[in-house]
Amino acid sequence: MRINRRHMLSGISAAGLASGLSLPAIGQARYPNRPVTLVCPWGAGGGTDATARIVAAILEKDLGQPFNVVNRTGGSGVVGHSAIATAAPDGYTIGMITVEITMMHHQGLTELKPDSYTPLALMNVDPPGVQVNANSPHKTIKELADAVKAAPPGRMKASGTGQGGIWHLALIGWLQAMGLRPDHVAWVPSNGAAPAMQDLAAGGVDIVTCSVPEAKAMIDAGRARSLAVMAPQRNPQFRDVPTLNEALGINYSVGAWRGIAAPKGISADINNTLVAALKKAYDSKEFQEFMANRGFGTTWADPAGFAAYMAEGDRAMGAAMTAAGLAKRA
Amino acid sequence: MRVHDTLLGLFFAALAVAILILTADFPSFPGQKYGPSLFPRILGVGILVCAVVIAWRGWRESRRTGGRRIVAVDAAFADPGKLASFLLVPAGVGFYLLAADRLGFIPTAFALLAGLFLWFRVRPLPALAIAALTTGLMQWFFGTLMRVPLPRGLFMQLIHGG
Amino acid sequence: MSSAILAAFGLVFDPYVLTVILLSAIFGLFVGAMPGLTATMATALLVPVTFFMSPVPALGAIVTATAMAIFAGDIPAAMLRMPGTPASAAYTDESYAMSRKGQLELNLGVNLVFSVLGGLIGVLVLILAAPSLAELAINFSSFEYFWLACLGLTCAIFISTGDPVKGFLSLFVGLAIGCIGIDPAAGYPRFTFGNVDLMSGINFIPTMIGVFAVSELMRGVMTVDQAGRPVQEKVGALFRGLGEVTRKYWTNFLRGSAVGTLIGALPGAGADIAAWVSYAMAKRFSKEPEKFGTGHIEGIVESTSANNSAIGGAWIPALVFGIPGDSITAIVIGVLYMKGMNPGPTVFLENPQLIYAVFIIFILANLLMLPLGYAAIRGARHLLAIPKNVLLPIILLFCVVGSFAMTNSPYGIVLMLIFGVVGWLMEENGIPVAPLILGLVLGELLEHSFMTSMIKSDGEFLVFFQRPIAGLLGALTLTTWGLMLWRGLRPARAAI
Repeated sequence: MRINRRHMLSGISAAGLASGLSLPAIGQARYPNRPVTLVCPWGAGGGTDATARIVAAILEKDLGQPFNVVNRTGGSGVVGHSAIATAAPDGYTIGMITVEITMMHHQGLTELKPDSYTPLALMNVDPPGVQVNANSPHKTIKELADAVKAAPPGRMKASGTGQGGIWHLALIGWLQAMGLRPDHVAWVPSNGAAPAMQDLAAGGVDIVTCSVPEAKAMIDAGRARSLAVMAPQRNPQFRDVPTLNEALGINYSVGAWRGIAAPKGISADINNTLVAALKKAYDSKEFQEFMANRGFGTTWADPAGFAAYMAEGDRAMGAAMTAAGLAKRA
Repeated sequence: MRVHDTLLGLFFAALAVAILILTADFPSFPGQKYGPSLFPRILGVGILVCAVVIAWRGWRESRRTGGRRIVAVDAAFADPGKLASFLLVPAGVGFYLLAADRLGFIPTAFALLAGLFLWFRVRPLPALAIAALTTGLMQWFFGTLMRVPLPRGLFMQLIHGG
Repeated sequence: MSSAILAAFGLVFDPYVLTVILLSAIFGLFVGAMPGLTATMATALLVPVTFFMSPVPALGAIVTATAMAIFAGDIPAAMLRMPGTPASAAYTDESYAMSRKGQLELNLGVNLVFSVLGGLIGVLVLILAAPSLAELAINFSSFEYFWLACLGLTCAIFISTGDPVKGFLSLFVGLAIGCIGIDPAAGYPRFTFGNVDLMSGINFIPTMIGVFAVSELMRGVMTVDQAGRPVQEKVGALFRGLGEVTRKYWTNFLRGSAVGTLIGALPGAGADIAAWVSYAMAKRFSKEPEKFGTGHIEGIVESTSANNSAIGGAWIPALVFGIPGDSITAIVIGVLYMKGMNPGPTVFLENPQLIYAVFIIFILANLLMLPLGYAAIRGARHLLAIPKNVLLPIILLFCVVGSFAMTNSPYGIVLMLIFGVVGWLMEENGIPVAPLILGLVLGELLEHSFMTSMIKSDGEFLVFFQRPIAGLLGALTLTTWGLMLWRGLRPARAAI
């Protein structure tokens, strides 16, 4: 009895400290009436983490409850994506899902697919660039493309992310668009874009496909050059880098995207509240400036648009990965 | 708890064999001689060699010295109180793992601390006070200030009604 | 330039910034000194806190907290045989052995003073030589890393005392545990049995908390009622005997700081590896290697200088190329971007006053470490005055929360629990735990660098020697191994 009373007392006072209010809720208050968790499948300090944090900060101001970014990392994104999908659909756990959700299940890493979630909003798409060492003899994407075609299969090496990751598929798509085999340029798996860019500067690989903002530090350092972006338009932050289409006439574009999703089965009320808040956040000057500052692209899609975007991406990724022999043979 | 070297060696040998068996169905890396199975296999063999040496040394020694107990337990474990103290450390962590999600951090941490304090003969009043104070400080510091997602559980639901 | 430096002083010596620095220093000391909480975790925890700050206090908080935490990790290593952070793990046994010999004061004094000096050397190198050292570090490709990882593994021989076969066994088991999860080359999930958590692999920090802190707790509770108080009840004069240590081992200090800064500057290797390598080097080049492991100060001087100098070193590639030097700067880079100080050589041109401000804070933090560290050691005396039956359960709870915070899920606690029991069993059976941790730390680097090098060289092993630095490192590795093998075999033959 005594223990009980004591721990109730200590608990209440601690919770009071914790939240700044210890009002016992009477009846069901409006959503959200307690802190919301925003799961980020990638590590603190990375691009996805930064995007998640700025979104969380704006939502927090708008909806008046803390939005806590929780990094659930590892397993090439499987851990965090599972955490979002398997959370209680009460609106108090949402998450940032990334392009990997359209890829991992093809590799047989997880059962999760885009339709394992309630899509809320697409916030960002970053197209890959094609980067070479600053001392590379290839000054334009045209020269590089010719050199790639002329080289025997497997001679040239490229890197940018792990085996079967998004930037690997970007390379495969580009090679296929040029009529080459997916393994014509050998892929050297790396632990993310930054180490790949370092390996490029060290002369370990010939090409790195990764987003231009990820390559920016090395480009600014005069160690690497960006020859093209695989996107419909140029990046406003890097105006002098042409698109594949204008340089080679290849209309291939692919991108790493980030969006917000909830577990399946959240109520329509909560869904609407979140989507409205996310739209407001997306349109805010704060978000747009933050993303522009880092060179990240911004692209909006509402739940229906986001679902369609993911379904289309999932189909394309499945086809590309099967062609490249990266998909798990069923 | 000292296990006889022969047994210890056999245990690690079994572990090594298990590693080697599990690597059998690893796929190869496209276009490479080496795949994901290479390193585990090298390590499996390394563990196996060490394990066999340890087991053989243990067996040779026990033949020379006329044998030693298979499992020698520290004399202190004969005292049931000490054995219980020892087991309480992993058991306490186990309790936290089982209870924290359901009950929430605050009651679980409090119960863990208070339980251990009382078992280790801290006087009841200070035990409960220190447990309450530590739990409160940790919830404030990690949960609020550092935003670690400590489990909320039933307890916070009662408070927030959510 | 001088106007930028003046502006930087103005930015740092602002009441708000100084308050942030002081609070972060206390935070860092606490996190470092508490087993279960680590410097990497301190940085990760600071990300949301610094998100709303302006650049100078945000970076100042991280710089100060990490420097303090790496030092403070030495305190519980000496007093409780539990390293406060992974960077102190290399010399925990040595430290504790000194304390048991009644040299706690000398040990802590050495840890404090050489942490400060090592830290300052790291910062000076960062300030003076960042561009040229970054130049060197950037030329490291997978071939060079492969040989470095091999050299790192060689340290296992020096850090494990006792039975070499059991040392190797521990190392192999550590490397094998590192194989769990998605493999670094092909992306294939190994030994995961369909478990989502295992796909993320065996997280090294909860594992370390388990084998060092939890297993020590399991030993500690057995004697809780016999000796109500731990090692020593009071801490005497800290700085007595320090002059003699400095005279005798100043080369160790210089070598430790140099090696620490370099290892810190290499992408991917940080303070923990710097400490292991320096400890092994100290033993290798010592005139009295037989004293190592019995409470000998020499290795501690070298490795405690190394781990603090590595902090400054790790900022070199981070600032110049946006490449993390260790797990702390991996997070720092994100903060730099978030504050609009995009890393790259231009950061020195675009925002010189901010960079100078960071440098000033670095120096300030290291200088502040002397009085604050002194106070912390004095404060730890009060901690020691807390009876064991109160202290041990509290440490256990910190271990639980610290492990949880590394994965943000119960998985971290499960790892901690399993490896706590494993560590205890290993210790009981004369299997050293340090090589296990070293294997776990280096395993992925070793495998990844080997596999990617093989892909680049189309399967030709000779290419591993073709690049100049790689060739040098390769020759060094093979010579070291050859020498050790020769030495290892000779006494065996003599015995027959």
